Amino acid sequence: MLNNKNIYKPIRAKLTDIIDESSFIKTFVLIPEEEFSFKTGQFIELSVDGIGEAPFTPSSSPLVTEQLEVTVMKTGYVTEYMHMMKPGEYMGIRGPYGRGYPVEKFFGKEVLILGGGCGLAPIRSLLYALEAVKDKLVKVILCYGSKTPADCIYKPLFDRLNRTDKFETYRTVDKADEGWDGSVGVATSLLNKIRINIRNAIAVVCGPPIMMKFGTIRLLEMGYPEHDIYLSMEKNMSCGLGKCGHCMMGEFFVCKDGPVFTYSELKSTPDIWK
Amino acid sequence: MKLELDVLKKIRFFDDYSEKQLETIAGMSSIKEFKVKDILFEQYDELTDVYVLLEGCLSLGISLAKEKRIHLGTLEEGQLFSWSAVFSPHISTAWVMATCPTKVLAIDARKLNLEIEKDCGFGLKTMTKIAQTISHRLSDTRFQLMNQLTL
Amino acid sequence: MSYYSIRKEEWDKILEQLILSYTVFATVSNEFGQDYELLKPADIPHILYNKPKPTTSLKSFFLPVKENVTSARDQEKPRIIMGIPNCDIEGLNLLDEIYLDKDYIDVFFKDRRDQTILISSDCFSTQEHCHCQSYDIKPYSTRTADLSVVQMNGSIIFRSINGKGEEFIKKIAGAVPVNDNSIITGIDKKHKETEALLIESNKDLPDYETTGRLISFANENIWKKYSSDCVSCGACTTICPTCTCFLLIDKPGFAKVKQMDACQYPGFERVAGGEDALHELPQRFRNRYMCKYLWKPRKYKSLACTGCGRCIEACIGKINKNELFRELAK
Repeated sequence: MLNNKNIYKPIRAKLTDIIDESSFIKTFVLIPEEEFSFKTGQFIELSVDGIGEAPFTPSSSPLVTEQLEVTVMKTGYVTEYMHMMKPGEYMGIRGPYGRGYPVEKFFGKEVLILGGGCGLAPIRSLLYALEAVKDKLVKVILCYGSKTPADCIYKPLFDRLNRTDKFETYRTVDKADEGWDGSVGVATSLLNKIRINIRNAIAVVCGPPIMMKFGTIRLLEMGYPEHDIYLSMEKNMSCGLGKCGHCMMGEFFVCKDGPVFTYSELKSTPDIWK
Repeated sequence: MKLELDVLKKIRFFDDYSEKQLETIAGMSSIKEFKVKDILFEQYDELTDVYVLLEGCLSLGISLAKEKRIHLGTLEEGQLFSWSAVFSPHISTAWVMATCPTKVLAIDARKLNLEIEKDCGFGLKTMTKIAQTISHRLSDTRFQLMNQLTL
Repeated sequence: MSYYSIRKEEWDKILEQLILSYTVFATVSNEFGQDYELLKPADIPHILYNKPKPTTSLKSFFLPVKENVTSARDQEKPRIIMGIPNCDIEGLNLLDEIYLDKDYIDVFFKDRRDQTILISSDCFSTQEHCHCQSYDIKPYSTRTADLSVVQMNGSIIFRSINGKGEEFIKKIAGAVPVNDNSIITGIDKKHKETEALLIESNKDLPDYETTGRLISFANENIWKKYSSDCVSCGACTTICPTCTCFLLIDKPGFAKVKQMDACQYPGFERVAGGEDALHELPQRFRNRYMCKYLWKPRKYKSLACTGCGRCIEACIGKINKNELFRELAK
């Protein structure tokens, strides 16, 4: 029998709870059957038995290892099946893969997180990780934009962080509804109101490609050095192992060289925002 | 006058203005206060002041008819608006309304233009910063539009 | 590297014995030319020596088109692959870098590599589209293969390339060290003749690095021109010794089937939200060359094109990448 570890074989994880975040977003709470841990920003390949798998960045704290949470938006074939699952069923996990956020490099600095849309899921994991080491940080500012107020998930998180020392959060929506009395406009417009010491700060950008492009341009204009802007790139990650070629972005495998990159690493790679 | 200098120093737009330049601006500015639902100006109004939001909340949008306001965005503290006051024909491109008690810095646009003509250094700096503000606003608006047009 | 010789008739008898304990593949002539065939005793007289090249590339022996990668499996049976041209051998170096990467070793690939004896065959002639020499790849192996084989004057001459090859040769009854220097000189002469043929027929073809540079600056018209006859059939990627992109398909019981895929197929980079960076065919066409000549060299030491020319032969639209490169170089 071939004895070496099989890189293609998933571990089973029991789905213990499903949280409805919005009409098309659910958070799955999973308990892996084998020992499993991840660094914030790394991703997993989550599978539905016999149907397919898709890459996700866990949205839970990396310090909690007995279970993990994965927030899934219903956008395609596999995620539609995922949304039909019930607690008690099993999913497959391969991973964790890739390079996560180098949290140690944020020590002693001000951390600006610019997020949009579905980017809030990996951001939540990063926020938990930063909360655990907040004594080592100067401050953390979250600027987050969603299309409408209903599209913003994890609302209690914002309230809680606003009451947490060293954390500030700001929200905006592209299009307000009746009950909304907060900022209206895109996430980058929130950058007008924050106070940050660029000389001692890093920025994390996470969201849809359009948002990441506009956000990065604005951060560079603000004076952020290219090596201090961290981007979480999304591509068609499939094997997660740097082999199948689907996630290649120029010379990089997003699954192995990323998904977290600094802007300085990517700036000469063409078409990174496609 | 001293109060307004401190006020100006807190505004990011004026971050790299000299003390003398700030005094000049302070000399042509005043603080205005607005209540909830006060309209600072309507779309197509002729504008005489350039504003900076100091405290409070302002909504911005366009009108299809007098009563049909389309709310497009909000302004954040420290943001400059009503820049159309500086350029001919000095007509506003949007309405702005206070949605909570609000304080703004109002700069007399005519006096500002005179200073811009008189002092090239001040003029170049001010016009560049106004252009950057408009550029960011346009970029954000396009981004907002793209979000609506795409998935 | 040491040379050994054996009379051809004796070697043919040895092959009959080897077939009993190994799965043996050799390049055999067929109605279409030649290809790797599972060797049966009746095929032994039809084995081709020193004549390029098998239609299929070596890749398929190590990366099957489709395989279940989660099922319990026994070790592969030992096998011998004979008659491998150096373009295929050098292509294997890239596959080793990808699949034996220390972070994630593909155990199935590794098992096949461990269980295979690679016998390369020095090329003493060339085919129309061979251009290995343009990329500094010799028409004979000096590494990665275990040994090489040459047929000359009624004898079979082995050249051991590594310890495994040396061990294999030592077990061949009747194989003796070559004492006659003229044999080695004769082989060298043949090498040089083949190299000269390759240089002559590929005179104006830019080298690997230059090709990468030319491609990166090429404007979109050239891609539109050369891809106008492309139908995204993927023949080029299937036959290429170094193209290995794959899909992982889920089967019940959390099983996974690994199946060869290609950037030439639509939807290769499509994400769930619908965006597809390679939506247009000319973009996909260009992507393969950017990957081979620009991006892979930045990541890997081994070349991602070994100049075998199979993509030119296989293309149903008769697209010739070397014509494209020559045009760019003008």
